[in-house]
Amino acid sequence: MIEFKGVQKIYEPNDVVLDNIDLTIKKGEFVSLVGLSGAGKSTLMRILTKELKPTAGNVSVDGTDLNDIADKEVPYFRRKFGTIYQDFKLLNNKTAHENVAFAMEVSDATPEDIARDVPQILSIVGLADKAQNFPNQLSGGEQQRLAIARAMIHRPKILLADEPTGNLDLVNSYDVVKLLLKINEFGTTVVLATHDTHIVNTIGRRVVTMDKGKIVRDQLEAGRYII
Amino acid sequence: MKHNLLRIFKTGWTNFTRNSYMSFAVTGVMALALLLFLGLLTFQVLTGRVVSSIQEKVDISAYFKTTTSEEQIISVKADLEKLPEVAAVTYVSSEQAREDFKKRHEDDTLIQESLDQLDTNPFGATLNIRARDPENYSAVATFLENSRYRDQMSEINYNENKAVIDKINSFARSLRAWGLIVTFMLVIIATLITFNTIRLTIYNQKQEIEIMRLVGASNWHIQGPYLAEGGIYGAIAALVALFIFYPILYLASHRLLIFVPDVNLFRYFLINSWQIVLLALIVGVLLGMVSSIVAIRRHLKI
Repeated sequence: MIEFKGVQKIYEPNDVVLDNIDLTIKKGEFVSLVGLSGAGKSTLMRILTKELKPTAGNVSVDGTDLNDIADKEVPYFRRKFGTIYQDFKLLNNKTAHENVAFAMEVSDATPEDIARDVPQILSIVGLADKAQNFPNQLSGGEQQRLAIARAMIHRPKILLADEPTGNLDLVNSYDVVKLLLKINEFGTTVVLATHDTHIVNTIGRRVVTMDKGKIVRDQLEAGRYII
Repeated sequence: MKHNLLRIFKTGWTNFTRNSYMSFAVTGVMALALLLFLGLLTFQVLTGRVVSSIQEKVDISAYFKTTTSEEQIISVKADLEKLPEVAAVTYVSSEQAREDFKKRHEDDTLIQESLDQLDTNPFGATLNIRARDPENYSAVATFLENSRYRDQMSEINYNENKAVIDKINSFARSLRAWGLIVTFMLVIIATLITFNTIRLTIYNQKQEIEIMRLVGASNWHIQGPYLAEGGIYGAIAALVALFIFYPILYLASHRLLIFVPDVNLFRYFLINSWQIVLLALIVGVLLGMVSSIVAIRRHLKI
């Protein structure tokens, strides 16, 4: 489903962030991408959503080469993904309900669909009673659960989570991870970038370890975070 | 498509009300810009009116000798009326001229008595000619000079009025030109200020726009509500500006009537109020929307 072939990213003049990455992720997999800060995890994800262009190499999603996607089509391409980030990236001047609804609006959902689906997903992530709250009226854990709700509302095939627990305490972190696992159970491919040892070891699925822009270890099953 | 438009407008309105401090500031700046625009419009109308009311008073007259027959004068009048430059020709007969003169000097018994003692009418007939454009008077004068009845005319008063007419014309021309230049410059300044204010508002939302793009929003989805918001700024600013403009105009126009009794500005703007309101709204909404488009453009690059 996702394929990196010889991907290289160099920031001028000679800062090599990704060095010859080969990685294949199958449909429905749960992959933990681990490594220290600066190992290249985020860069890899941002290349996947076409936020960044690789200096060399090919990336394909669902059989489509990313180089073949015109700038104009990028918004449509991004709707294949749900994305969550360490800093949540919620729209601060919209309520919880509107934040989720926005993700549906961009894919031209009807008002009826929005009225039906949004409360449903908010109650799945446990925010049913906070629908009219603005992000700054929610706790960190609640904000991240809202971000997950937004990422999942359009039923993407792939969920990208870039350090989603980075700003959360232990309890909230586990809540988030539980949600991610549940999402994966329903068939969504999940890529989780993190440097949180505990979390990676609890999940116990495929673990890809990166260091200094290279993949140094790829444990296909019951992986653990080892430096 | 229909629910999309509705959504865009609703989101624009929600953003407007939620961001009330910013909206207030932007609307205020735009209202001031529009007020300036309306003020300049008033200035244009005023100068136009003053100039034309002066120009209306200008005409040239051909005085005929007392011996000239009425047919001859009527034929000159007919010739004049055929000229494209001429707006109107009025014929004042010698009797009429005498009556007018008598009336003007009603209180002067000496004049009244001396007139009564005369057996003949010393006044000749007169043709008063008004041109469509004051610039045409020299052409009319030349026509009269070359007329076949030139020797029946005792006087054509263009030559003595020439200096005054020329002065009025050049004053009118430079007033129009400078008025246009000043208007143009101030409109540009107002537009730039408005544009900059909206640009800063949108710059504040840079991160939000970034997030919308990450969620997969197309440019149109991001831009739409900002466009609507810009239009709302403009419409409300136009209403505010009109609300301030009309009372001020009412007060100013009364003062002005003392100096230029012929020009009732307030009445002019009241009669044309429909067009003025529409114009202010259109200018406001366009200004807001265009500023929004230009300001957001740079944030939409992928």
